[in-house]
Amino acid sequence: MTITHHPSDETLAAFASGTLDEARSVVVAAHVCLCAQCRATANALEQFGGALLERTNPAVLRAEALNSALSRIDEAVPPVSARRMSLDYPDVLAPYDVGQWRWIGRGLYWRKAQVPSYDGTRVFMLKAAPGSSLPHHGHSGIEWTCILQGAFRHNLGRYGPGDFDEADNSVEHTPFVERGATCVCLVALQGNLELRGWIGKLLQPFVRL
Amino acid sequence: MHEKADRITPERAAALVRAIATRRDRDAFKELFNFYAPRVQTMLMRSGATNEMAEDLAQETLIAVWRKAESYHPERATVSTWIFTIARNRRIDRFRTDQRAQLHHVYELVQPTGALPPDLPLEAVEREGRVRTALDGLPEEQVRVVELSFFEGQAHGDIAKRLGIPLGTVKSRLRLAMARLRDFLGDTR
Repeated sequence: MTITHHPSDETLAAFASGTLDEARSVVVAAHVCLCAQCRATANALEQFGGALLERTNPAVLRAEALNSALSRIDEAVPPVSARRMSLDYPDVLAPYDVGQWRWIGRGLYWRKAQVPSYDGTRVFMLKAAPGSSLPHHGHSGIEWTCILQGAFRHNLGRYGPGDFDEADNSVEHTPFVERGATCVCLVALQGNLELRGWIGKLLQPFVRL
Repeated sequence: MHEKADRITPERAAALVRAIATRRDRDAFKELFNFYAPRVQTMLMRSGATNEMAEDLAQETLIAVWRKAESYHPERATVSTWIFTIARNRRIDRFRTDQRAQLHHVYELVQPTGALPPDLPLEAVEREGRVRTALDGLPEEQVRVVELSFFEGQAHGDIAKRLGIPLGTVKSRLRLAMARLRDFLGDTR
């Protein structure tokens, strides 16, 4: 797998420091799982965090803080619920409820993942038939995409498996799905349902159900 | 005894975690707690937690160190980095609106706890040494911007306002810091 499009440094840093919105984190994580280079960068950023932690000025704890912790370390650990892995969607969606594929027209299907978000960013998978093209569209907010299978092209290049497309409201494009394989993506889309973009228009009648 | 720990070597910290893993050594826990809990608390307060919540999460973080000691891999990361990720995950899970799914599972997938991935360009210990060298070599002004952005999750515009410098300067300092980090990682992207 040759990955040529990666998340920005700013995005990777926010991911590693845990300050990125959950919905976006999931799509970044899908890329990081597939990309050794970004995994190394995210690791390095965590190490940055570790080094910064060591250098931080210590807070003054309550006198009983240590004893309080000592009294709790032997408490029974609450059971951790097992992850529901599936071949049907990427592992990063395992902690979430994932809906059924639904037809939304022109060889296009989507399925929603229930990922909480602070700013209304939605996470869903999108499946587009080989050789299809999608209407020219802009974005009212961010549209981050991790390609899981197949490939599409637009004016910024070719996006194949593992590639990460970090589009924001400054981007307008017309994606073409390559012939040969169905294209499956994981998408984080910010914005309300009155989007003028194609995704918003296509999804609107279904999401309102 | 270890009331005011000013520093801890990576080797010492790793030995303490091992002592917990192998023989449930409470003195080792006390020493780790005294060094890390106050620093984790500061870090959490800087990321926006209240004093009380930061203290609570710092305590939870160190309790997790006790419980997860067996799963710590010294060849993967230093104890400081490991604790940083535990504290980060605890904070994320605490602030989540939906408590059913836990985002830290997503981070665990990205950073598997099993065998070391064969695709790492360098041994973790060596890599971590390089990251520290990179951090040591950064000018203070870059470290400040990195800290605000990374630790406190501040938007670039907010950092510019807070430091009274142009937005472009914030961005260029971050870019320089990341380039330095990449140089030390041998990443030629």
